[in-house]
Amino acid sequence: MNKADIKPNGMAAEMSNGQNPILAIFYCQNIPGGDEGSRQELESHYGESIRLFPIPCGGRLEPLHLLKALETFADAAFVIACPEGACRYFEGNRRAKKRVERTQAIIESIGLEKERLGILLGSREKPKTLSRWVKELSEQTSRLGVSKGRRL
Amino acid sequence: MPSKYVIHTKPVPHRFEPITKSGVIAWEEGCLKCAVCVKNQCVYGVYDHRHMDDRQMVDSIDNQCMNCFRCVQNCPRELIHKSINPDFMVMGDSHWTPDTIARLWYQSQTGKIPVSGAGYPGPFSGPGFDSMWTDMSEIVRPTRDGIHGREYISTTVDLGRTPKNLVFTGEGEMNEDIPPLVHIPIPMMMRLPRFGAVNDQTIKGWVMAARHLDTLLVLPQEICSQYPLEVQRHLVPSIGTGFKKMAPNKMTRMVELIWDKDWDKNIEVARYSYPSAIVAMRFPLSQGVEEDIPTALDAGCPVIHLEGRMDGTTLDQPSQYIKDGIRRVHQALVERGIRDEITLVASGGLAMAEHVAKSIICGADAVILDFPILIALECRMCRRCEKGLSCPVEIDQADSKWVARRTINLMGAWHNQLLEVMGAMGIREARRLRGEVGRAMFFEDLEKDLFGTLIKVKEGYELE
Ligand code: SF4
Ligand code: SF4
Repeated sequence: MNKADIKPNGMAAEMSNGQNPILAIFYCQNIPGGDEGSRQELESHYGESIRLFPIPCGGRLEPLHLLKALETFADAAFVIACPEGACRYFEGNRRAKKRVERTQAIIESIGLEKERLGILLGSREKPKTLSRWVKELSEQTSRLGVSKGRRL
Repeated sequence: MPSKYVIHTKPVPHRFEPITKSGVIAWEEGCLKCAVCVKNQCVYGVYDHRHMDDRQMVDSIDNQCMNCFRCVQNCPRELIHKSINPDFMVMGDSHWTPDTIARLWYQSQTGKIPVSGAGYPGPFSGPGFDSMWTDMSEIVRPTRDGIHGREYISTTVDLGRTPKNLVFTGEGEMNEDIPPLVHIPIPMMMRLPRFGAVNDQTIKGWVMAARHLDTLLVLPQEICSQYPLEVQRHLVPSIGTGFKKMAPNKMTRMVELIWDKDWDKNIEVARYSYPSAIVAMRFPLSQGVEEDIPTALDAGCPVIHLEGRMDGTTLDQPSQYIKDGIRRVHQALVERGIRDEITLVASGGLAMAEHVAKSIICGADAVILDFPILIALECRMCRRCEKGLSCPVEIDQADSKWVARRTINLMGAWHNQLLEVMGAMGIREARRLRGEVGRAMFFEDLEKDLFGTLIKVKEGYELE
């Protein structure tokens, strides 16, 4: 992502200028660097191009969250959850994974690339911080470009 | 007897879904597809009217759930959980706690006093105002026929100087002019919070609220001058360095100066520009402030504004709370014999209705509220606006009428709570509540009285 393209100050749903892909990230509050301070730092750094939503557990995420994000403002939506076996609610992350796969099938059936949705589980051995995840994801989405879904 | 002052409130809806303390986690995987699902049995129909707010990605089940836990307990596969909402827990800070913010939202939305059910589950004592208990020995009085019943409880306070004694001529005429006083029907004024995504519309809403409530709003002088003359009665221009003389404005009833190096120059300019106004001086609430107050009084500033920090502490000592500062200044002025010539108003960290009554008991005549009137507009105290980030609740998009109605609701709820406290204390006059420390208990004093001598160790000895 070219930083010069990033416009500061934007949370309104209609913020897309149609050029920069917008990324919705739902992350489990328990991942490293998932605190409010880091969230604000990331938002000031990336401006309009990302929107971050902390959730109490990856398992809280419903297909509806992802579909609504793709429909209203996002070009891609990702879930970041705790490593396998480390979920506070035992299997929230496993369930979230299934839901994302189900939702990927839905968006494929309506002609969107399934790469626009994804779930990332942390690793116990090499934990990644939220800001690291966001950096990688934002590079990934810039390759995908703007989604057709948002223009529907 | 003048007619009763009542603030009429009516519900004013939120513009954004409020952040709730807990959220429902309902898993589909492993569902047995029971003939009658527990979700259909929710008496509030939470699952039936489910929708998603796409601005915030908030699921309506969280806002509508009444926490009865029926669905959680009755699902045979235990697929439904309730969990603390991380977004709620990160709101505000240790002073403006998530619960305080949520209560302020409730009051601004409904105009009602928040009721938490039977009993008090909180800690016995805490920092600041929480270490202070008021005497509620006449608690039966307001419940007899309600706070708006037969009993007349006045919350009016006077701002300005009251003469020590009256002097008459031989003919029985008054020998001196009575200094002007400003009467406000509630001991609560307002001012702009230090941060917030506010704009002209927001300020206009607060001006409308101040007019409706017949109280005062402190604003920077350059903003006040943009408002028509008929509104100026309810505005207090705050004058800083660099203010130049302007055509006299006789509508303004009070101006505020800042205790800085230029205060004596500013006072002249202020007197010329606002000839009918009482002059208030804003002091930082810090050690030794009581030494400077007589100078300000002699220079013609009978209203002293003691400004604490937004976390409810004094400016120079983080371990001292504004309640301690107000008590200290009040006591010092009483000892000097000038307390009645001065009006003390306090600000900083006042976050609950009880803080108003407690500030007055400690010795203030009135208070000035800042952040509560911002939180009334759904502010989450995230301080993103300070960093130039967007406001999550778009306060700068709010209509001024909505701002005014939310502020009026909050003040109405606080006024009712003040009446409740005063009624329960058996005090019918806010003026009489001032400095009534005998009608309150302070945890630190009780602790000293009870245990102070027990752990005293003679010098040179050591405890084993
Ligand atoms: S906890 Fe009670 S109110 Fe909340 S969704 Fe379940 S049944 Fe409904
Ligand atoms: S919600 Fe946050 S950004 Fe908006 S006014 Fe309040 S502190 Fe500022």
